[in-house]
Amino acid sequence: MDAYTIGVLTNIGLFSFVALSAYLLLVAGELSFGQQAFFGVGAYAGGIFTAMYGWPLPLAALAAMTLGALAQFLVGLPTLRLRGLYFAMSTLAAAEMARILFELLHFQREVKGELTGPDGTQGFRGIRWIFEHGIEPIDYLGMVVGLLAVVLAGFFLVERSRLGATLRGVGQDPELAASLGIDIQRVKLGVAAAAGALAALGGVLYAHHNTYIEPRNFDIMLGVHSLAYALIGGLGTAFGPLLGVVLDIGALEGSRVFHDYRMIVFGGLVALLLVFRPRGLLDERMVRWLRARLP
Amino acid sequence: MLADLIQNTLDGLSIGAAYALLALGFTLIFGVLRRANLSYGAAIMFGCYCATWTHLNFGAGLLLLAAITVAGTVLAGAYVERLCFAPHRGGSMIAAMVASFALWMQFEELVTLVMPTHLYAFPALYEGAPLAFGPYTLRVDALVMFGAAIAACALLWGTLYRTRFGLAVRAVTEQPAAASLAGINLPWVYVRVFALASAIGGVAGYLVVASHGQITPMLGMWSTLKGLLAMMLGGLGSLPGAVVGGLALGLLEAHSQWFLGPQLRDLIAYLLLFVLLAARVPWMHTRSAS
Repeated sequence: MDAYTIGVLTNIGLFSFVALSAYLLLVAGELSFGQQAFFGVGAYAGGIFTAMYGWPLPLAALAAMTLGALAQFLVGLPTLRLRGLYFAMSTLAAAEMARILFELLHFQREVKGELTGPDGTQGFRGIRWIFEHGIEPIDYLGMVVGLLAVVLAGFFLVERSRLGATLRGVGQDPELAASLGIDIQRVKLGVAAAAGALAALGGVLYAHHNTYIEPRNFDIMLGVHSLAYALIGGLGTAFGPLLGVVLDIGALEGSRVFHDYRMIVFGGLVALLLVFRPRGLLDERMVRWLRARLP
Repeated sequence: MLADLIQNTLDGLSIGAAYALLALGFTLIFGVLRRANLSYGAAIMFGCYCATWTHLNFGAGLLLLAAITVAGTVLAGAYVERLCFAPHRGGSMIAAMVASFALWMQFEELVTLVMPTHLYAFPALYEGAPLAFGPYTLRVDALVMFGAAIAACALLWGTLYRTRFGLAVRAVTEQPAAASLAGINLPWVYVRVFALASAIGGVAGYLVVASHGQITPMLGMWSTLKGLLAMMLGGLGSLPGAVVGGLALGLLEAHSQWFLGPQLRDLIAYLLLFVLLAARVPWMHTRSAS
């Protein structure tokens, strides 16, 4: 594979995590405009742990995921009782606050004679763990794909379990779910923490792939893109968000024909697609249909 | 100190007037459709770029440019309504919102393809020195903005409370099912409200761009975010709330910018929205929104 293809595939993998976090919330009936904030928390935290304190990447990723989960749990605590657009706006407000806090964050220390760390709007340079440890781009792609496979396996296990049915129940008919004795607030807080951890994992991988991050990487555009990925791919299966990311980054950015008109083509396709399939390509009905026919 | 406070209040009210117009457009659409139109700001940006393009190629007077801005915004709004809202009536709110976001990306790429420079000059409303009242100054364009916002509100009020169309809009906002049973043609109301809201957005966009004397593609995101913020602060779907929310946001921004700087200004506006949402203050949870 040439470097360009590896780069595109790695990006598909990275953004799949944040798309999956938006998907998880959508399945539980919540619309978030703010998953970019937890992606950003993961990116900054992961970068700080490896580049400034010399932690190994796996440990830094675990710590960053914990922080992402904690952050979304804390944001969800006062807001998950809100409905629809109210919740969506509270996530947007939280995410814009996070972006501004990243702009205000000046926290640098000297590492091997070089000043490293977040420098406000100037961004955070030199997150070089994978280069310092001689990891080739193809191996990094392997790591990203491996982690994605683990996450997807987790999704499929949950979907087949009682918990999966509970999640869809809470998402589609919260009153009925509550009448069956399900503690909706608790389920949603758990979903929020898991979504925060997922987005943060994507962020850590993104920061180490790019070696440089800046606050505007984590603006509302990323958040709404992840939502769009989850929705066009389909809300019936965890493959849906992946399909959404592949459609956008893979088919359009990868094919150089559309490159200049990428947003015009993609935007029109999304709007048209949603007219015919408002819950995405792989929606619940399509997934049932496929399941009945596949071995 | 007191002089600064008064000066900031004046500045805040004039930008707040533009926010109020943006929020009015948002809230009109939300009131009847129960959906947020994320490409509202992008449609406004498209209208403003139509006017900029006309100005660069043919040169045109202020009034003509204003008319082109409004016409361009309404045209863009019609496209959004057909593709994102008409197919999802009574259907998925999320699909309509994500579709409207997709069109936002289209508008943004379209204007940057046709007009690739990041920043274009736009004919200013007024070139002269600001008016001075003792220690205070008042920019003439700010005064025009405020006046135009009041005129637009008055016109809107007349339309909503003194015409049959307005009665239909209010009926649909309050009770869509009952309005339909009473013989109101719902799609007819939806389309017209969309056009009306787009026209208001076009006026707001023109005033903002003409008073800044320049335009960038950031206008789309800026209008959407400020309009959403002002609408949420005043209460979803409430018209007086939109005006109050817009003015309050303008005042809050002017004062916090003076005391704390531009970054903290935005932080405080979002923090206030977050806290008010979390506290579930009663005026924000209007009946039409829940």
